[in-house]
Amino acid sequence: MTGSGLQTLLSNASRAQRRSMRLAILYAVIAAASAVALLGLSGWFITGAALAGLAGIAAVQAFNYLLPSAAIRLLAIVRTLTRYGERLQGHKAALLTLATVRTDLFQRFVEAPDLARASGDMAATLLQDVEALEDRFIRTPGMLGSLAGAGAALLLCAAAGWAAAVALLIIMIATLWSSWLLARRLLPAPAHQIQEAIARLKHDVVEYGACSAEIVAYAMRETVEGELQSRAADLDRTRLAFARGEALLAAVVTLTGGIAIAAVIGLSDASLPMTMLAGLAAAGAIEAVGAAVRSIGREATVAAGLQRLAGLVAKTHEPPLEASGLLGIRITIGTGADAIAMQAGDRLAITGPSGCGKTSLLTCLAGLHDACGLPLAIDDRPLADWPAPGRRSLFALSPQDAQMIAGTIADNLRLARPGLSEAALWDALATACLADEVRVMPQGITTWIGDGGTRLSGGQRKRLSLARALLAGRPWLLLDEPSEGLDVATEQQLKDNLDAWLDRTKTGLIVVTHRLAMLALAGRQLTMIG
Amino acid sequence: MRATPPSLLWLADGAGAIAMAAALACAAHFGLAASSREGLLTSLAGLIIAAALRASVQVAATGSGQKTAVAAKHGWRLRAFRAVLTASAGSRTMLGEQVADATDRIEDLDGYHARFLPLRFAAGATPLLIAAAAATASWVAAAILVATLVPFALGMILAGTAASRVAARQLDILGRLSGLFIDRVRALPVIISFGAQERVSRHLAEATQEVATRTLAVLRVAFLSSAVLEFFAALSVALVAVYCGFNLLGLLPFPSPEKLDLGRALFVLVLAPEFYLPMRRLAAAYHDKQIGEAAMARLTDLPPVPIPDDPSPATLRHPPEIAIGGLVVDYGERQVGPFTLDIPAGCMTVLSGPSGSGKSSLLNALLRLAPTSAGAIRVDGQPIGDLQGQVSWAGQTTTLLPGTIADNIRLARLGAPDADVVDAARRAGLLTLVAGRAEGLATRLDTRGSGLSGGERRRIGIARALLRDAPLWLLDEPTADLDRESADAIMHEIRQAAAGRTVLLVTHDPRIAALADQHVSLA
Repeated sequence: MTGSGLQTLLSNASRAQRRSMRLAILYAVIAAASAVALLGLSGWFITGAALAGLAGIAAVQAFNYLLPSAAIRLLAIVRTLTRYGERLQGHKAALLTLATVRTDLFQRFVEAPDLARASGDMAATLLQDVEALEDRFIRTPGMLGSLAGAGAALLLCAAAGWAAAVALLIIMIATLWSSWLLARRLLPAPAHQIQEAIARLKHDVVEYGACSAEIVAYAMRETVEGELQSRAADLDRTRLAFARGEALLAAVVTLTGGIAIAAVIGLSDASLPMTMLAGLAAAGAIEAVGAAVRSIGREATVAAGLQRLAGLVAKTHEPPLEASGLLGIRITIGTGADAIAMQAGDRLAITGPSGCGKTSLLTCLAGLHDACGLPLAIDDRPLADWPAPGRRSLFALSPQDAQMIAGTIADNLRLARPGLSEAALWDALATACLADEVRVMPQGITTWIGDGGTRLSGGQRKRLSLARALLAGRPWLLLDEPSEGLDVATEQQLKDNLDAWLDRTKTGLIVVTHRLAMLALAGRQLTMIG
Repeated sequence: MRATPPSLLWLADGAGAIAMAAALACAAHFGLAASSREGLLTSLAGLIIAAALRASVQVAATGSGQKTAVAAKHGWRLRAFRAVLTASAGSRTMLGEQVADATDRIEDLDGYHARFLPLRFAAGATPLLIAAAAATASWVAAAILVATLVPFALGMILAGTAASRVAARQLDILGRLSGLFIDRVRALPVIISFGAQERVSRHLAEATQEVATRTLAVLRVAFLSSAVLEFFAALSVALVAVYCGFNLLGLLPFPSPEKLDLGRALFVLVLAPEFYLPMRRLAAAYHDKQIGEAAMARLTDLPPVPIPDDPSPATLRHPPEIAIGGLVVDYGERQVGPFTLDIPAGCMTVLSGPSGSGKSSLLNALLRLAPTSAGAIRVDGQPIGDLQGQVSWAGQTTTLLPGTIADNIRLARLGAPDADVVDAARRAGLLTLVAGRAEGLATRLDTRGSGLSGGERRRIGIARALLRDAPLWLLDEPTADLDRESADAIMHEIRQAAAGRTVLLVTHDPRIAALADQHVSLA
């Protein structure tokens, strides 16, 4: 898929900011034209004044100096004000549009996520790539402004004769064309590599940061730091290549600026004041073109970001399917004589050696992916008939890694379902045998549990994850090693609580466990083999 | 302000501007004479040559600035990476923020060193050079240029301080936003399985919108200072043009202090915008300055890189005896402890206790990865030192470096012969797991360990512990999530390999606890 999905997303997001964008363009056009006029008019004024001064007192008296000198001052003020307006309105349009874009992208990503994708990588896309887009929004008015500046300069140059004007036009086109060629050759590769290198570096920092104990234990710090430094050096190299490319583009503008002034003056067939007006206007024109050249250079960064963003949108454009008719009153695992059929409210324990696919069976049922490993059926239809997003409404999963979001205990519990009362939260904590511990925490249920819940112990996280699953109010509870990390007494209490809760709520249970206490919770057992 | 190579190159760019102005003035002079077409053409050729020189100086200045940035960033990275790798688990700063410090914040310094610092020097020195050159043609025009600096500086101070105040706050907000995105993406499976996508998205939308609005407020002020600059840049051109015009006309309202001709007048006119150009370039790099300085303020909070550890860190020559007395681990909001226990030498001590009682914190404290606020740990009667590299460790996560699986196991004991590595892998049960792979232990891994199962990762960690065979073993639930049979097999290997070593093992499994010489239950 091309970027068309992304284009729609971008244009929808920018619609609300159209007024700011139009204002920015208007200001940019006025600013660029007045900048050219200021230089040109000043050159004409001085030269005219010099000629009049040489020609004697009569010529001086005939020389209209009031109008041009007033115009010069006016242009200076207009240029300042409009440039401020251009920048402010342009940035306003860009920032507000892209805030919407970021959120839209995140939303699309969560609708059909690529769970294998590393989080640092994804965050880089949402933050940096979108920021690169910001650049394009900001530069759009400037681009149009530079066209206006170039046009104004051509008009002024026409006063120096058609040869000078044509020369200026050719030089401007040559500047843009050669910059475009250079930019295309020098910039896209490093621009792309910079973002890749940042994402890689960030990913590695995240991964190694989680391993600090092992790194200290084996004195691997220097090796790991060396690894990170070499990733960083890759990044620096690409940055240098990119900076060199950009500098070359700027150099083209400086050089052609000199050529343009020389050409216009050399080819002028007008009077000296008009020649000087044209020469200085040419300098202003190339300066205006320079803004366009900078935009061309930036385009490489933007394109690299766009490419990644388009990939994201392409992967995630399908809307979640509503699974109509999915009731979940009957779940069948396996086929033939060995099949296990469960009715609503039934309980099943799954055991088996590690790596035999117990966890992926649970996460598959829960609708996180479609690779179940075993033939499964819900309501007597094969799993393939029920798309993953639809299945999610049937199951409340407490996964093996008891994943938490950075926030408070309450924040994490409230993920389960909107509109939960505080009493409901405490009930769930009590059932999960965690209420007493939370009660003595400094801020109780609003205690901050750190990044990914790291301020809780492994067992506390497990039980918090369980409490959250209880709160979801789904017909089936899926638990992956719920009592791992618990002492024996708590485990027994947990088993009793869950037993009562399941009876009361008529909820079905599928639990993956090795522990006897938890096995006792289920009526039936399925032993998976590798 | 140091004159570094890139800043001197930017100063040379100013000299190029003077040469261009001089060439243009000569052209006007010859144009006025109308007799010397040759002189005119020579001047114009000079103009082009000056422009070419200027262009090449600019390229050199940019490249040289980028190189100084690389050197500066390298120094910061030493500290930032160290901070990430020695961070205590459970610290309130979100991992996302730490990662942002080590990556984004350091990249924020790029423009500061590559562009802002060299340009700041040039912004101070080049206008002086330009004014001096202008003074040779018209000292009044030079004086006008310099005089506009006074109100300009006042305006910049007013607008600039306001801008930097808001900018520092802004950076904090951006850091938190980045942390928030990383965290929510990581927790995605949970968010999705509870159908909380919409609520989480809404929360992120509010946070993002707020950041955008605040950024806009910062820009409103930041642009004000550039507007001041623009104004004086334009005004200096206008004033010089008007002064020169009236001087040439002989219509100055005061006695003319000097007599200009066209060449001189054009020379100063063309120099007028160049006078402010370095400052405009600096203003364009103002964003680099803001984010660079704010990033530095955050980064200076990082602990400095310690002086290279003791040349001869106390090595554990024999299984140590460890005495922990009244140790309190303090995460700020949450405290665990005090712990008091003796771990006899050469024995296996099992640590169990209800979740949250601080078992893992205690292991981390032995590696000096947990912030302690009271008590002490003594090893063989001495205060605990750096145990880096002296421990057999197995825990919940496994560090993977690019290389083969065998290379990764060997990290625990560099230079270990292949036979030992294979043996450790076999005992950890890794050989049977990787038997299905075409290359077995020679399978190459990237840093992500792509394609490794959780069980394989866990066993690489255990193989390391076996291979290292240190006098001290620290094991944090090494068999959690393993089925009974694998857990028994692994515990059997650990029990054998660690016989006679000092072992501290955290577990909940009563069957494993039964293997211990000493069993400590934390309250």
